[in-house]
Amino acid sequence: MITLDRRRFLLGTGVSLGLPWLECMGEDARQTEPAKRLCAMYFGFGVGLPSADSAEGMWHWFPRGEGRDFTFTEVLKPLEPHRANVTVLGGLSHPNGRRMGGHDTADTFLTASFLNNRFLQNTVSIDQLAARAFEDKTRFTSLVLSTDGGVGEPTRSSTLSYDDKGRPVPALHQPQQIFDRFFGAGDADLVASQRRMKSTSGMLDRVLEDSRSLRGRLGTQDREKLDEYLESVRQIEERVQRSQRWIDIPRPELSDEDRKILKLDADDEAPKEFIRTMYDLIYLAFRTDSTRVATYQITNMADCSSKAARFPQLEGFKKTLHSLAHDWNKPGGAEELGRWDQFMAQQLAYFLDRLSGAREGNGSVLDNTIVLYGSSNSNTHENMNYPLVLAGGRELGFQHGRFLKFPEQVPLSNLFVTMLNRIGVPTDSFVDSTGEISEVTV
Amino acid sequence: MAVRNFAALLIAFLVARAVASAGPDFQKDVLPVLKSHCVSCHGEQQQKSGIRLDNLSTDLINDRAAAEDWQEVLNVLNSGQMPPEGEAQLTAEQHQTVTTWISATVAQAIEAGRETSGRVVLRRLNRLEYQNTMFDLLGLEMDYTRDLPPDSVSADGFANDGSALRMSAMQLEYYLDSARRALDRIIVTGAAPEVFDYEFTESKIDNWLGNAQRTTRLGRQQEFLCKMTDKYPEVGEFLVRVRLSAELKPEVGYPLLEVSVGYQPDTEILMSDFELVEIRSVEEQTLEFRGRIENFPLPVRGQGKFPGLVVRVRNRYTDGSPLPKEQTDQQRDYPDEPHLPTVTVKTVEFHGPVFDQWPPSLHRRILFDSDQRQSDEAGYVAEVLRRFMTRAFRRPVLESEVARMVDFHNSIRGEFPTLEETLRESLAMVLIQPDFLYHLEPAGSTKRHIENFELASRLSYFLWSTMPDETLIALAGKGVLSEPGVLAGEVDRLLADPRATRFVKTFTEQWLHLDYVDRVAVDREYYPAFEDSLKQHMRHETEEFFAELIRSDLSALNLLSSTFVMVNEPLARHYGISGVFGSQFRRVELSADAHRGGLLSQGSILLSNSTGADSHVVRRAVWIRDRLLNDPPSPPPPDTPPLDKTNPEFASLSVREQLEIHRQREACASCHRGIDPWGIALENYDAVGNWRSEIRRKVGGGFQTIPVKASDLLPGDQKIDGVDSLKEYLRTQRANEFAQSLVTRLATYAVGRRLELTDQATIDRLTKEFAADEYQIRGLIRNVVTSDLFLTK
Repeated sequence: MITLDRRRFLLGTGVSLGLPWLECMGEDARQTEPAKRLCAMYFGFGVGLPSADSAEGMWHWFPRGEGRDFTFTEVLKPLEPHRANVTVLGGLSHPNGRRMGGHDTADTFLTASFLNNRFLQNTVSIDQLAARAFEDKTRFTSLVLSTDGGVGEPTRSSTLSYDDKGRPVPALHQPQQIFDRFFGAGDADLVASQRRMKSTSGMLDRVLEDSRSLRGRLGTQDREKLDEYLESVRQIEERVQRSQRWIDIPRPELSDEDRKILKLDADDEAPKEFIRTMYDLIYLAFRTDSTRVATYQITNMADCSSKAARFPQLEGFKKTLHSLAHDWNKPGGAEELGRWDQFMAQQLAYFLDRLSGAREGNGSVLDNTIVLYGSSNSNTHENMNYPLVLAGGRELGFQHGRFLKFPEQVPLSNLFVTMLNRIGVPTDSFVDSTGEISEVTV
Repeated sequence: MAVRNFAALLIAFLVARAVASAGPDFQKDVLPVLKSHCVSCHGEQQQKSGIRLDNLSTDLINDRAAAEDWQEVLNVLNSGQMPPEGEAQLTAEQHQTVTTWISATVAQAIEAGRETSGRVVLRRLNRLEYQNTMFDLLGLEMDYTRDLPPDSVSADGFANDGSALRMSAMQLEYYLDSARRALDRIIVTGAAPEVFDYEFTESKIDNWLGNAQRTTRLGRQQEFLCKMTDKYPEVGEFLVRVRLSAELKPEVGYPLLEVSVGYQPDTEILMSDFELVEIRSVEEQTLEFRGRIENFPLPVRGQGKFPGLVVRVRNRYTDGSPLPKEQTDQQRDYPDEPHLPTVTVKTVEFHGPVFDQWPPSLHRRILFDSDQRQSDEAGYVAEVLRRFMTRAFRRPVLESEVARMVDFHNSIRGEFPTLEETLRESLAMVLIQPDFLYHLEPAGSTKRHIENFELASRLSYFLWSTMPDETLIALAGKGVLSEPGVLAGEVDRLLADPRATRFVKTFTEQWLHLDYVDRVAVDREYYPAFEDSLKQHMRHETEEFFAELIRSDLSALNLLSSTFVMVNEPLARHYGISGVFGSQFRRVELSADAHRGGLLSQGSILLSNSTGADSHVVRRAVWIRDRLLNDPPSPPPPDTPPLDKTNPEFASLSVREQLEIHRQREACASCHRGIDPWGIALENYDAVGNWRSEIRRKVGGGFQTIPVKASDLLPGDQKIDGVDSLKEYLRTQRANEFAQSLVTRLATYAVGRRLELTDQATIDRLTKEFAADEYQIRGLIRNVVTSDLFLTK
């Protein structure tokens, strides 16, 4: 049993690993199912939606037709080779977002929250819910990336992820740092937090020890209360120990081939290379089971203060992203924005190539990963009818090769509930959900 | 005095016991009476009010719930509530038999229970106590409870009940996280940071939202704005100094200075405000505002569209009149409002981080200056920990306890580069010990008197919601705190301290449910001019009223009716009381026809027991019976038919008339007869607590009015005609129930546990003393603190 799973693990990773890793993997590798994963990508400012019969009709972001009987327009044509791996979703949005400013909804793409202009307090994002559920299983609970890095400012966030208190999770944005953290010696933050983890462990040991004599000096009812405290200490200790064991386990080694592809010196001056490198890092983190949850905010809605806002210009377009998006309905505008979104779709296709190319279990890494790609504007300012692509997860029960349209009243959270349940995070409801979207699984 | 009372009690119990042995027999004498008169409603078929008598346990010593039920039976028999009117009544002899048996049996149970229950359960610091304790211990301003889950509230409604306060792994992790976060800020490493100093003389800013006029003379629509684009601190204490003068105007209030710090994330403004300061003098003056900059919203460097930290100064005073419109010819320009007071800002200074020396005093308070640090680090660390633990544990610590902590310190010392970083961990460990997080009072299986240090903590957490100060600890150290004279003196000292407002605020909130004010949304269609800020003033009114009773040693019966109110300008304007200017609460004597005074006329109580559009008769009635008289009506039975709102004729009736129809159904009548009249008497107050003679109701697109009828009959055919007559009735006929209710609530809050039958004798004695003392709350607090309730574990 264990041998088989080890082999499967080796087959899956395609890399050689040291023995200690495998020994410690024992507990996890004994699971019969491969990892279930969640990945979400976001772009800001929305897409062009020229009418089908206009001169620029082929630059409408959404496909033509419906159901299985659809054709990609020029924009998403790069996804044609992955037609069997993707579903395009139309009509969905967050009802809370519709009451917010046109450029304020990047923060809530994965949270469905309402940002009140007085407190600007967000709530937990679906990826962090999944991260919580999987926290024992991998070295890192999640990989949170964005082009701009950090957290940005409220309503102009540069991260998609929010913790259980609704606080932004800072995004990583330097390929070398991400690599060091996941596959190298670790970065300064990591060393500091490991130090504290070790000290926590010592603290808890001693608290338990000391409490033995204390317990003897208490009355019966007080003992019950102290036991509640001690049980809490024990639970934290177990958790810390589970996390701590990763410190002594060497990080996964990558093959020469992997290293050759990775361009760790990629910077945000070369968008195509940069985006692909970020996708490569997600792919490697998944394939080595270093984490099962990733988000990547490719572009955002921070406009002039954002590095990502210049991506189109760096790729030879004449305008910033914000201007491209604003001018979609001017003559030639739909084509220009459409070409940019086509560029983005090419990078997505590259990512799907990577994930689907790695075998794992009965399918590929992609088949065990549900990928959501999209924006929280349809046209710029419009917090409705999000342009969305759902990909992968066939082993999780997702069915593809369709363009599904939903009526306006269906909240996007319904899809989130389905996604969470399918990756093994039992979820009855999420924020404003009214049910599930079973259409993506039948 | 106390000894004599105790002796009297003891004799009473012995007598009761003697009676029990020779008294009525349950099977032979009592049960037949119950069967003939009670069981038809409280038996196998029906259990009205959830009481069943034919099989209720008579083993009151081991079945505490049954004992409580029997006590209730005794109460309703004695008060004549049962059997109900129209049913066969008990003969005098039967009555005597049943009540004698219950009294004696209950007394026996009390005696038996004396040694086993009625004890305080190991109690965790609640959120409020934890926040205050961390602040007092560390001196750092921080939201220590940011991530902690809300505390559970006991059945009595108090958030300091040891049995209700739970612990979980998540909670404990956040305690550790909170401690580390604070210690990271307090214990510094490395060289002193760069200090930034600014002085601004004009209101000037590029790219800022809003239409306020940017100028130095501040009325209602002007702002003083200044910005530090790049060079400002992100951690540490900072200081804003405002030099200003003011123009005051007659027959209006004073300027209210607001200082805020924050920034503009694109299309929003995110700022935190210092507490408002009322400017009561025209003279030039300089005000200082200190805070920790990390507690304020800070721009994210390199990512915002409008980088820079902004200080904003405003004058928040308004007389409630409509705002004048922007002058049409120019943007951000408004006509002068000569009748309103203004502030003229001369300079605004910003300094930060500010520290007396490096490392700052908070750091040195823990890592004190000593040559020992160099010569003998181990000895130094032991002394640092000993001092810190003594304060954190609120008692002297044993050398063995220090030694264990030092041992931990040594075990991790090698992992951390500096002593400072290691100590952050060792001190954090102190802050997750049960000795810090709980009110730890080791005790065996028998009840004991508490020690002096335990008493210091109990007293301090009761009246200040925080750890004892140096004086209390010193008195405990000398072993004299428990001396009655010293203890009474300390009660006075603690009550006179500003920290006693925490007791007033917390106790009144939890006793009177003042927080319900925030749960009611005021209907703007009915009250378009209502400002939500008034809700806070309403809560303060009740707190200030209670505080005034303590401060001036006034009778607690003023809570039922009084000839004065505590109001400030906005609230006085709301109530229609003229001549009150300024935001401070002060005592205002009432005219005879004011219809104010006492809790029942306070906005906080009236609004929180309303629908937000209209009064809510039943809610107000239940509040009186539950909160004031400690006699809550039973909750409605599960099959209660709701008021028929769909019937259009029914909708046009007043609530009072609707309830009358409701009461015509026998199923509803038995309860509602005892409930509704209490609330009907308050019908002259609308939802927001204003006096009315007509009830406005929205019908279709307009309003319909119905005259108020505020008279009704209380049980016992007591006629009540409006709020003034209700207050009179409460004060003259129900003072004892009210006093007992207040005593019970206060004692429950003081000891942090649910009171039980065994405590009844103490409560009765306290109530008697309270009445004899003309219902002075300060005296009551003193007596509670010196009672066996408070002094035993």
